[in-house]
Amino acid sequence: MDNFYIKPGNQERGWNDPPQFSYGLQTNPGGTKRNILNKRVPPPQLTGQSPGPGLPPSSAASSVPPSNPGPPPVGGLTPPPPKSRISSGGLSTGSPLSTSKTQTNSSVPAENEPELDEVQALLLWSLAACRQSVKKQVCDDVERRLKLFEEMWKSGKLSLPVKCRMKGLSQELKNKKWDAADEIHRALMVDYVNEVSQWMVGVKRLIAETRNLSPELFQTEDTILMQVEKDLPQTEDVQPQTEDVQPQTEDVQPQTEDVQPQTEDVQPQTEETAQSDISTDPVQ
Amino acid sequence: MATYQDFIQQNEDRDGVRCSWNLWPSSRLEATRLVVPVSCLFTPLKERPDLPPVQYEPVLCSRASCKAVLNPLCQVDFRAKIWACNFCFQRNPFPPSYAGISEVNQPAELMPQFSTIEYIVQRGPPTPLVFLYVVDTCLEEEDLQALRESLQMSLSLLPPNALVGLITFGRMIQVHELSCEGIAKSYVFRGTKELTPKQIQEMLGLMKPAASGQQGRPLAPQDAATSCRFLQPVHKVDMNLTDLLGELQRDPWPVPQGKRPLRSTGIALSIAVGLLEGTFPNTGARVMLFMGGPPTQGPGMVVGDELKTPIRSWHDIQKDNARHMKKAIKYYEALANRAAVNGHSIDIYAFALDQTGLLEMKCLSNLTGGHIVMGDSFNTSLFKQTFQRVFSKDYNGEFHMAFGGVLEVKTSRELKVAGAIGPCVSLNSKGPCVSENELGVGGTCQWKICSLSPSTTLALYFEVVNQHNSPIPQGGRGAIQFVTQYQHSNTQRRIRVTTIARNWADAQSQIQHIESSFDQEAAAVLMARLGVFRAESEEGPDVLRWLDRQLIRLCQKFGQFNKDDPNSFRLSESLSLYPQFMFHLRRSPFLQVFNNSPDESSYYRHHFLCQDLTQSLIMIQPILYSYSFFGPPEPVLLDSSSILPDRILLMDTFFQLVIYHGETIAQWRKAGYQDMPEYENFKQLLQAPLDDAQEILQTRFPMPRYIDTEHGGSQARFLLSKVNPSQTHNNLYAWGQEAGAPILTDDVSLQVFMDHLKKLAVSSSA
Repeated sequence: MDNFYIKPGNQERGWNDPPQFSYGLQTNPGGTKRNILNKRVPPPQLTGQSPGPGLPPSSAASSVPPSNPGPPPVGGLTPPPPKSRISSGGLSTGSPLSTSKTQTNSSVPAENEPELDEVQALLLWSLAACRQSVKKQVCDDVERRLKLFEEMWKSGKLSLPVKCRMKGLSQELKNKKWDAADEIHRALMVDYVNEVSQWMVGVKRLIAETRNLSPELFQTEDTILMQVEKDLPQTEDVQPQTEDVQPQTEDVQPQTEDVQPQTEDVQPQTEETAQSDISTDPVQ
Repeated sequence: MATYQDFIQQNEDRDGVRCSWNLWPSSRLEATRLVVPVSCLFTPLKERPDLPPVQYEPVLCSRASCKAVLNPLCQVDFRAKIWACNFCFQRNPFPPSYAGISEVNQPAELMPQFSTIEYIVQRGPPTPLVFLYVVDTCLEEEDLQALRESLQMSLSLLPPNALVGLITFGRMIQVHELSCEGIAKSYVFRGTKELTPKQIQEMLGLMKPAASGQQGRPLAPQDAATSCRFLQPVHKVDMNLTDLLGELQRDPWPVPQGKRPLRSTGIALSIAVGLLEGTFPNTGARVMLFMGGPPTQGPGMVVGDELKTPIRSWHDIQKDNARHMKKAIKYYEALANRAAVNGHSIDIYAFALDQTGLLEMKCLSNLTGGHIVMGDSFNTSLFKQTFQRVFSKDYNGEFHMAFGGVLEVKTSRELKVAGAIGPCVSLNSKGPCVSENELGVGGTCQWKICSLSPSTTLALYFEVVNQHNSPIPQGGRGAIQFVTQYQHSNTQRRIRVTTIARNWADAQSQIQHIESSFDQEAAAVLMARLGVFRAESEEGPDVLRWLDRQLIRLCQKFGQFNKDDPNSFRLSESLSLYPQFMFHLRRSPFLQVFNNSPDESSYYRHHFLCQDLTQSLIMIQPILYSYSFFGPPEPVLLDSSSILPDRILLMDTFFQLVIYHGETIAQWRKAGYQDMPEYENFKQLLQAPLDDAQEILQTRFPMPRYIDTEHGGSQARFLLSKVNPSQTHNNLYAWGQEAGAPILTDDVSLQVFMDHLKKLAVSSSA
């Protein structure tokens, strides 16, 4: 899973910056703690042994075993004891997780790169479902961000893990698993904020709004879509969307939007007005 | 009960309490002779996955001056439906809802396993949590970009119904109006003029119009929630706020050569405090200050804008040459107290290479339970991860943070509470169980803790008031009740009640029992907190002398020795680690300011005064583990003799994690043995400390610095400065070819320290 990784800290800016853990690793710290390092050794002086500086920490641990490789001779280096000489139980071997933990960002599942159309179609379909009950302004804002997402994808600004996770998110959305979708959104915000920060909030809002839709509305929306698509049987309890019809939804979108009764009379906000700050200075 | 170790562990797990003594001396005189006061570390919201809260109100003792909560220590008469308070002995009838009570049908709060119990109570309408971001814009572009992204990210981590607000500052202060309707507006304030809370509220339009009768009355929370344009629910404004944050620009005012940017941090904070004061008093709220440099203008300025005048150092402070310090401290203390009165907490995220004024500003967080996090740049994993962890969640998917805590302590008659040390303020609540003698913040039995986490820990000190000639009946027990009211992050009001009891013991006939009941870990932290608390107001050497005197007295009391024979001195197992803790505490950055800036000292002390026992102890005496081919990882002495060529050492100082490769290991690593299949075991050896370090990194708050070094590496100094210098350049040759690494220092070693301690303890003239 590419959700579990550690990347090095920013040594350029932060002195001894610690490594950075992925969201997945932080929220699921991998089962039981193996070693809780909280033990201390009492100083030898107080427990009856003869005092003296430089006394070894504990006689058992520091007495040199015969297999000790010894100090490296001048000019050459004594190798560490080879594998066979060490009993396997002696060392704490890394947990199974530790191998996956240390995987880097680049190790991506071997699956093919997801299709934008497939992902975007599901997102737009959810947006269409929202249009009945959610303010137009909000929907337009979400749409604007989905467009931005599309542009960034097309212009190659999104990394493969982001694309894969967005695919997963859209699938969860389709299956109405809002919590799962929300969790993927959160993981993306934490792990890839520099790629997703501008548009992900639209996806976040989309998840929140579709979650709030009454199930009937969502169903109606399904049926609307299904009627338009004409490909699917009109049973209520079957998931209307299947993988093969995905590309069609793009074309269907404008129609569904026409079907929506637009009751909200909201002035569309232009970017320029949104940016011009009207600053009132009460001090003066 | 097998041993005191088990007893102590069980009590900590169940009640979040660690007592210095687990048998209490039965008279005032005997208690003072024990040197370490009867005291405890208390973690009010210790995580208890196995403790579901109950959905009713606690039953209180009817005596007005007592009001203790019904608990397992109370005597119950099931037939008469009456219970006797174990603190004041008042007999109380059960409320009508307890009519069905009987021996076989008892409410949870009477069962011994519920010595800690949590109640969910309904008090007024639920109020959302408030997060107010106060953002410095005098940052380098790279830092500002990282901060923008982290703030945008945080919107995804906040609960959707939380209210969020944004204040940005540089030379001017902008309070941003958040609305979903397109046009972004902000109110601009000058950073030089001090404003009264009322003025701030008027300017922001937070006063109700005169129509409501009372003129200029602050809005009630209900109105505020709907009408305050500066604090809006995340789920409504997340898209606009994301854009607003994305468009945040660096402070546009030019910064001339040789000058610092003008930062109006003081006024920005006073506006933040005033805004919350006027809109959401007594509601859980967090002001989160992000700053990339010191306040340089207006009230609360720490340093002037001339770069040629450096920010104050310890040297300046000692020479009374820190111009702005006292004034700034006074200013921020006043702000902190106002925030605390309203139950609001203030976090400081200070990320800059130079000092930012934490010395002056620390009270903002120390008095309100806020976090302080210090680092080099916002574009570091140290900031990003630590900030994420502010919003971390528990096993139930609920935030670790809680708000508006009020801790009340009740004691049985033989005890009084002398004070508390931790991230709290006194509520000046006098009562029968308040001692006249103060230790820490005293003179009260109630403290306010504006923000709590499951690890927030207070040190509480008690006084035995029973007179020597009126002994407590054998078998009697003393009791303490902690009642913590707080706002859960899901906005519920909750009350957690912990009732503990310990046996009284006669210090003359049972001194050995008392000795074996000593919890040296708790005692070390409790004494250290007293020391650090003193260090804030007293000179360093005085505090060290005080600590030394306490240690000598303790050794005189409990050591076994022949008079004037230091070699005969022995301490029992229950005290065996204690002198070592004190030795390392003396060397720690909590008491030594050498090599630390005033900001660093303030930062270290802040964390020391709020963490739980385990973490505090790591800060006092860092943990050192050794990894080798000779066996599983093992703890070793924090001593230069532990630095051996064929070992890897992992040291945890709380603020730093150091992995040190011994000389041979480092050579093997350099030669690449770990990549050869026949030396797979060497690869595993290298990996083992990394894995253990990762586990620490994954849970520690704040993220520590992470140092991977080796023998001869410049960063090995982090290890060398912490270990006991048992071998130095002075004694190395005298002791021949000892194993270990000599430390170039004139510091006293533990051995010398112990020799002196023994000599003083056994001396008949002392």
